[in-house]
Amino acid sequence: MDTKTTISRMLHSYFFVIGLICLIFIIISCYILPYWIPWEPLENSLLDKSLPPEFFRNGLSGHILGTDTLGRDVLIRLLIGGQYSFRLAFISVVLQAILGTVLGMLSGYFGGQVDSIIMRACDAIMAMPSLVLAIAIMAIFGPSTQNLIFVLTVSGWVQLCKIIRNNVRVVKQQEFVLASGILGASGFHIMFKQIFPNVTTNIIIITSQRMGFVILMEASLSFLNLGIPVPAPSWGNMIAAGRQYLVTQPWLIMAPGIALMLAVLAFNFLGDGIRDVLDTKRKV
Amino acid sequence: MLAYSIRRFWQSLLVLIIVTMCAFLLVRLAPGNPARLILPDEATEEQVRLMEIKLGLDKPLPVQYWNYIMDLLRGDLGTSIVYKQPASRIIFARVPNTVLLALSTIFVGCMLAIPLGVIAGTHRGSPVDLFSMLFALLGQSMSTMWLGVLLIWVFAVRLRMLPAMGTGGWEYLVLPVLSMAYPMSATTTRIARSGMVDTLSEDYVVALYAKGVSRMEMYSKYALRNAMIPVSTMLGLNLGIFLAGSVVTETIFGWAGMGQLMNQSVLTRDYPMVQSLLLISAIMFTVINLIVDIINSFIDPRLSIN
Repeated sequence: MDTKTTISRMLHSYFFVIGLICLIFIIISCYILPYWIPWEPLENSLLDKSLPPEFFRNGLSGHILGTDTLGRDVLIRLLIGGQYSFRLAFISVVLQAILGTVLGMLSGYFGGQVDSIIMRACDAIMAMPSLVLAIAIMAIFGPSTQNLIFVLTVSGWVQLCKIIRNNVRVVKQQEFVLASGILGASGFHIMFKQIFPNVTTNIIIITSQRMGFVILMEASLSFLNLGIPVPAPSWGNMIAAGRQYLVTQPWLIMAPGIALMLAVLAFNFLGDGIRDVLDTKRKV
Repeated sequence: MLAYSIRRFWQSLLVLIIVTMCAFLLVRLAPGNPARLILPDEATEEQVRLMEIKLGLDKPLPVQYWNYIMDLLRGDLGTSIVYKQPASRIIFARVPNTVLLALSTIFVGCMLAIPLGVIAGTHRGSPVDLFSMLFALLGQSMSTMWLGVLLIWVFAVRLRMLPAMGTGGWEYLVLPVLSMAYPMSATTTRIARSGMVDTLSEDYVVALYAKGVSRMEMYSKYALRNAMIPVSTMLGLNLGIFLAGSVVTETIFGWAGMGQLMNQSVLTRDYPMVQSLLLISAIMFTVINLIVDIINSFIDPRLSIN
């Protein structure tokens, strides 16, 4: 598919366009808006505690989404929490993609013993529900950013690995790969120069659909206080904290809940859109 | 099919052996001495060493693993540090609550998802199809956690119709079931819909229409059966996850199941309990997937040839 067809397919996929627009809006808000907001995410002021949302009555200098029980501005915590979530999810998804691709290619290309070892490892990880495994690891090794990236990565590479492996096994049998082998190309050359370009579409499709899932999982872990360590803000721990004041201050859960929903919706739309665009067998 | 079932059985057993290794290593690799965790803070070095010998921590790792497996086969999952009782007794007391929640969720989820997905698949482009797509997209982005808190706010805080937390009769079950069933039914609707669409575009469907099979008969007798295979796989996966205990839902609603126990054990650093819960959830998950695969191979014998 040439660039022109790809762009035309992108513009014709509602999912892709809506997802992309929402996502650009969310990311710009999270990274640029904080410069105009006069509050800090950890700055508490007991005089201003539990203020209901003022929206834009005082412009950008008011507490637009209100304050929490420690007098911290909800909007700035929401935006900074979003930054943490996106960064963590992005790093984990990239690591998942690398791990899944490399192991899947090794497994599919070499077959035999290598294949059975990698496949049994995949089966074992798949046998443990990912959230339960993540909770067990976080509980034992303690909450920290590195451990969080590790647990978000550890269960996510399996699906990609299995798909790439099956893909490689098919591609490996095709004439051009056999010809390359007969002409004396090294295994390394065949794997990365001949086979790899044929599996990239699948890598992009699967990886783009993981972002929403990883963000939800990070939020669940943070909700259980096993994610981003407090007092740093994250949507999960903001919902957990707001849950205790549901009766008097419902805005404390509304803001992070809606933000989480919109962000995941945007990533899911974009993921579905990318699949529609790249999967040549499907009609847009 | 029998050969396939036996092969899948051995495969699952191998997977479970690897899982026991993971569960064993996870706790052994944990920072801190397990013996010190059991003893009070003021314990002397001598007491710690005696406890290590009692727990078998002085032996080499492979021997420890062997003892661990032998204990497991006898049904001994270790002793909870917090409750000072066998972990298995405390976990199994929680099983009925989790099973009740999981089965109710699967039931409600199916009731929502399967009719919606099937009608959407047979009436492509209709308002029902559009609704099912919006229903599914919203559901996939709604986390159980946010939906759960939202339901408590609406039904318990504002409308005062249902209790917010606790374990008990059906009124306690409604909100947790809804908060888990909706995200689950979102995925299931999509799978049922695409299963129906894929099946109805097969060549044999055209042939059957040509033969004079009515539309209703086609849907109920031929298409549904094929479309249900990916659905039952999905339901099996979900049932496995729910039976492992939905940590988030059970914590939000104070439902005394295995998930809540997991969260409590994590907070109290009860490692033997965390280890046992991880292992039990993996066993349940594997067994259910095995059963689903075997059932599927009976629905569609083509699946057993691989």
